[in-house]
Amino acid sequence: MKTSERGVGASIPRFEDDRYLEGRGRFVGDIRMPNMLEVAFLRSPLAHAEILGVSKPEGAAHQVFTAADLEGVQGIRADSGLPGFRSSVQPILAVDRIRHVNEPIAACVAANRAQAEDLADLTQLEAKPLPAVHDMLKARDKDAPLLHPDWEENAFLESGFEQGIEAAIEKATVTVRRQYRTARQCMSPMEGRGVVAYFDDQADQLVIITSTQMPHIVRNGLAECLGLDQARIRVIAPDVGGGFGYKGILLAEEVVLGWLAMRLRRPMRWIEDRREQLAGNANCREHWYDITGYASADGKLLGVDCEAIVDSGAYSAYPFSACLEAAQVASILPGPYVMEGYRCRTWSVATNKPAILPYRGVARTGVCFAMELVMDDLARELGIEPAEFRRRNLAPAEQMPFVNITGKIFDSGDYVEALDRAVKALDLPALRARQEKGEPDGRLLGVGLSIFCEQGAHGTSVYSGWGIPMVPGYEQATARMTPDGGLELRVGVQSHGQSLETTLAQVANEVLGVEPGKVRLVHGDTALTPYSTGTWGSRCMVMAGGAVAMACEELAERVKAIAAKLLQAEPGQINLADGEARGPSGSVSLSRIGAVWYHAPQDLPDGVDAGGLEATKGYKTVRDTGTFSYACHSALVLVDPETGEVEIERYGIVEDGGVLVNPMVVDGQVWGGAVQGIGTALYEEMPYDSEGQPLATTLADYMLPGAAESPSIAIDHMETPSPISRFGQKGIGESGAIGPPAAIGNAVNDALRGFGARIGQVPITPERVLAALAAGGSQ
Amino acid sequence: MKPGRFDLVLAGSCGEAVSLLGGREEAKPVAGSQSLGPMLNLRLARPAVLVDLSTCAELRGVTEEADSVLYGAALTHAEFEDGGLVDATPGWLPQIARRIAYRAVRNRGTVGGSLAHADPAADWVVTLRALGASVLLAGPEGERELALDAFFTGALATALKPGEIIRAVRVPRRGASARWGYWKFCRKLGEFAKASAAVLADPGRGEFAVVAGAIERAPVALPEAQALIEGRADPRVVVEEALPFLPPERRALQATATARAIAALSEGENE
Amino acid sequence: MTEFTVNGQPVRYNGEGRTHLADFLREEMGLTATHIGCEQGVCGACTLVKDGKPVRSCITYAAACEGAKIRTLEDYRDDVLMARIRAAFKEHHGLQCGFCTPGMLATAYDIATRLPEADEARIREELAGNLCRCTGYMGIVAAIKAVLAEGPHVAPEPAAREAVIASARFGAAEAPEVVAEAAAAPVVAERPALLTDGHRLERVARIELPAERVWAVLSDIRQVAACMPGASVEAVKGERVTGAMAAKIGPITARFGGTAFVTYEPAEMRGTVAGQGGDGSSRSTARGEVHFALAPSGDAGCELTCEILYKLSGPLAQVGRPAIVAGVVDRLLADFTANVEAAARGEAPTASAPPGFARLILAALRNMVGRST
Repeated sequence: MKTSERGVGASIPRFEDDRYLEGRGRFVGDIRMPNMLEVAFLRSPLAHAEILGVSKPEGAAHQVFTAADLEGVQGIRADSGLPGFRSSVQPILAVDRIRHVNEPIAACVAANRAQAEDLADLTQLEAKPLPAVHDMLKARDKDAPLLHPDWEENAFLESGFEQGIEAAIEKATVTVRRQYRTARQCMSPMEGRGVVAYFDDQADQLVIITSTQMPHIVRNGLAECLGLDQARIRVIAPDVGGGFGYKGILLAEEVVLGWLAMRLRRPMRWIEDRREQLAGNANCREHWYDITGYASADGKLLGVDCEAIVDSGAYSAYPFSACLEAAQVASILPGPYVMEGYRCRTWSVATNKPAILPYRGVARTGVCFAMELVMDDLARELGIEPAEFRRRNLAPAEQMPFVNITGKIFDSGDYVEALDRAVKALDLPALRARQEKGEPDGRLLGVGLSIFCEQGAHGTSVYSGWGIPMVPGYEQATARMTPDGGLELRVGVQSHGQSLETTLAQVANEVLGVEPGKVRLVHGDTALTPYSTGTWGSRCMVMAGGAVAMACEELAERVKAIAAKLLQAEPGQINLADGEARGPSGSVSLSRIGAVWYHAPQDLPDGVDAGGLEATKGYKTVRDTGTFSYACHSALVLVDPETGEVEIERYGIVEDGGVLVNPMVVDGQVWGGAVQGIGTALYEEMPYDSEGQPLATTLADYMLPGAAESPSIAIDHMETPSPISRFGQKGIGESGAIGPPAAIGNAVNDALRGFGARIGQVPITPERVLAALAAGGSQ
Repeated sequence: MKPGRFDLVLAGSCGEAVSLLGGREEAKPVAGSQSLGPMLNLRLARPAVLVDLSTCAELRGVTEEADSVLYGAALTHAEFEDGGLVDATPGWLPQIARRIAYRAVRNRGTVGGSLAHADPAADWVVTLRALGASVLLAGPEGERELALDAFFTGALATALKPGEIIRAVRVPRRGASARWGYWKFCRKLGEFAKASAAVLADPGRGEFAVVAGAIERAPVALPEAQALIEGRADPRVVVEEALPFLPPERRALQATATARAIAALSEGENE
Repeated sequence: MTEFTVNGQPVRYNGEGRTHLADFLREEMGLTATHIGCEQGVCGACTLVKDGKPVRSCITYAAACEGAKIRTLEDYRDDVLMARIRAAFKEHHGLQCGFCTPGMLATAYDIATRLPEADEARIREELAGNLCRCTGYMGIVAAIKAVLAEGPHVAPEPAAREAVIASARFGAAEAPEVVAEAAAAPVVAERPALLTDGHRLERVARIELPAERVWAVLSDIRQVAACMPGASVEAVKGERVTGAMAAKIGPITARFGGTAFVTYEPAEMRGTVAGQGGDGSSRSTARGEVHFALAPSGDAGCELTCEILYKLSGPLAQVGRPAIVAGVVDRLLADFTANVEAAARGEAPTASAPPGFARLILAALRNMVGRST
């Protein structure tokens, strides 16, 4: 849906690219300041322990800081308002108890990082190891050691949903019950976290430059922890090397660096290294499901009954809290399917692992894996093609907006069409024939599908329900025309790969006709941008895009009023396009209009809006329950029964992201997400031993998919506009990462079917495939 | 992470390297630093002194001998890969080299460094063992030559004495009638192999070898090599008997690696 | 003093041996196009060109760059091939956050000049050493394909350079010496609970000596220690033994100091050593147990069964090739049983200290230490 050459719908190249391609990006690690000191942390080698003492190195005690030094600093608290939520306080530096490996214990300050690490080596921790909770399935056992002594059990929250399940069970003729598990992962953006902190005496502000997705939220949290007025803190996100949720958090390190900068009155820098990240921050995705699907003999899905556990780690991370993921499981599991009955109970359990953070797709990746694998097994029980079983049970297009059993409002789309396109592209009959024939090299061919939705840009009504420290409201943007007719946009979200410097300029072009190359996006700085909860939840293009459109529309009215005077026409007769205002007879450039407001106010019309060529507007979608993009993923795999290796021969995606503001950028988001999903499906896992020790702390052990492991991915776009967003666009940033474990899992199970073997756990490692084959063969 | 403190000194010659090392445990020779580097950065390895051999000209030559070729220990994997060196084999060495880690690593990593590090999953460790290579060592007590089966004493363990370095690798020449197979299983391209097998059939010299690699021990030459190659022995049975310490699932993978390396041999193809 | 050139400019490096090239370029020369992604030699973000070839600058030490010509991404301003690659990356959306991009460009440039015929599969193979978390590699592969399609390309000669402004001396100021030893890892000297999991290895050795003679060795903790390569005993106080276990695995050396508790059941000719210790330099700890049992077997012979259970924590446990450690511990066990036999015969221990992965060995050793002390 291309509406102009450079506006919404155009695949224009990115304005971000040149600085990165020339190595001129400015990431936090690139920042050096005069007199800057570097920080390294002494971190816990143990997962659960009582601290008996920390000894600072002789002669360098003034360079080492522990919890005892942090007078007046509060721990991090992120409570949910949901009933029964158990509260935790994450210490800035460990106080008397260590609750996961690599928890920071002491900050060591030196002239450079190597010397700071030398100091950390010399700082002595005396600690008494305690039994660790390493397995979420045992966390609530009666004899499990308690992480937080005042709790009755290691659970942040129990939540659930139930409607009509008993009746569905009664009616069912086919029942399938399965257990599924997803591994703990580390999101692993290529750039880790990092903080530079200094005190700006002139502004009387603590300045925190941090690799974050949400500078305003970080400021909220820092003010609480440091006891400072918010106006005395400025948070800046410079170039950020990938986020995916990893940087949607208030860091203990941000608090420490801020405190040190004020205490020592020198700039401080801490750059997370990969070992710190892998050993201390594998913080997402770990789910367990016990799920039962019920169907009628004629292939109707009647109901789903599920118990789910989410390993939420040791603390409730700010701002998303330990409740979000598990509670989300219960609310989103039914997805786009029609069903009569549904029940789900979930537990957010506490373990001696890092606090869970929402990773791209959040709970959806696990939920999709559980739901879509059960759908396949139900279809097999019924003796019909999995695609056909889905077709019979997906919400039909004519029911849009469809309200599913948990009350989710699917705004628009045709899920059956997406499925049909995927099946057609696969040429399923040919594949079944090939499967029948067998592969010449003895490998096993399998085909799998997954279909799911992605709720994006959901707002107040959804988040106020969670009761967490962060509830998004109106999203604001400021648009300011410069005297030469260019445009500055200011938004509170942060762009770190999402291409907002380009796509928001396209929105401005769409509304104002300004050349996108003349638009500058100011983002990632609490001092320069309107408040925003930041970049998360696939919300930027809908929310910030909507806000920019609103601000530009306001500006357009004012521009037209000035143009009308200059063109001797009525404002209603003026159109804005191609950098000029066009009237019935003649046109005037935006630069001329800018010049009039700023340099020649004597030429302004009477009664001109005194706000001038600068406007801040707030935006919400028509309904704040979110846009629902959706996709059907298809995977064709070859499984080597002798090695257990899974090769993806083909991977296809039919995607409906509504109106695509920049299709090239959307493709990039979907591709990148899909390869992350392939990592979840086949490669990425942080195993923990029984003492809570993480066992994959280098990138040689924690395997991220490389170019050779990644397939060429075909994307087929449907573009059903969302009725609730400004241009019909939908949030789409997370979608790619949701579908692959389910599609690949179903494909592997399809391949293993003849052996009576089945996979129920990701990543699908060679060892797990071989174990499944061995178990299947023995049945 | 940054390494702990160490001194790095450059050796201009083999003799200088040996005298700089001085037979000290805390001094380590290094060439490309592609295996040692990560361990230094993680502060797991903490030598006091590194003696860098990478620019030592006498470790970077190739000497042709009647029956073998002598490769300087500081020749890089990439130099083998690019085919610019005299090849003792009918074109096998570049194929082996190309599959070591990544190109950027191959540009610095050296054949001598790889053998001295003796990672059981390393390509040269298993393939040069199968090719019947030996190493020339220089140390405080002079030079000696060790066949690789005697050189590797375990995982990450060799017969190198403190202060001793690998000067060169001697690879026997293989004629046109010789055949070769190598197969390794990696979860990810460029990562450590989980199982590997190298097979040599050189009827002209009456030499047959089937070597098991990536077994987290020193590579093991399987018995009955010729019978395996000629299909008269079952790799599963031989692996079972020769590698009892492997867990059963790992043993099955090793049998697969063996069978596939042998298959690559008969087809004249290497993965 | 190491001399080399960076982007054509001569530099002299006189800093610490441990400073890697990426840190030198970024922190001392201000050349921040070279990014640091893992410092483990895996991710490829720090890839730059040394003597015409892409290398990892995080595991290349500045002091080892004598005579080298280093080129960073800052140096390609006038390079027509790099300009073409950049344009292709932009056209095909080969970057998002931009963090992996400098390393990707170094590799792409190498592919364009070295492998003009590369197809998609080969391009993907060559990119294996450069991780990207944003693009799914689609745009990167497409960009390189497009550049190759216009080839073959020859790397242009770097543009003529300005006269060097100064032979500046770059290098860190002398850092203060840190002389103290690394702190010991956290350990509490209490009797540890028996391990319920962990790694377990067992070895049974037949010894052609009467069981009583072998038991005479095993029931003397100091003799047991002497049989364990690397073990040393500081003090024996009743059933409590303090000492250390030193081990060397490849380039890693560790010394686990700690305490062990020894219990004997003489009537059964069985014993157990359970201990724990810490290695300061790796901040790792190990717990372990050795269970040994003697049984007469045949005429004048006996069977020695040794079982080791061990468990590591801390950084040594967290880098994963546990099977290597198991191999090392297994060898240790073999040496130990051989030494026990030798000692029972009145001979000196013969087996040398095992090589292998230090961590696990250490754990095992530490168990042994406890016992031997």
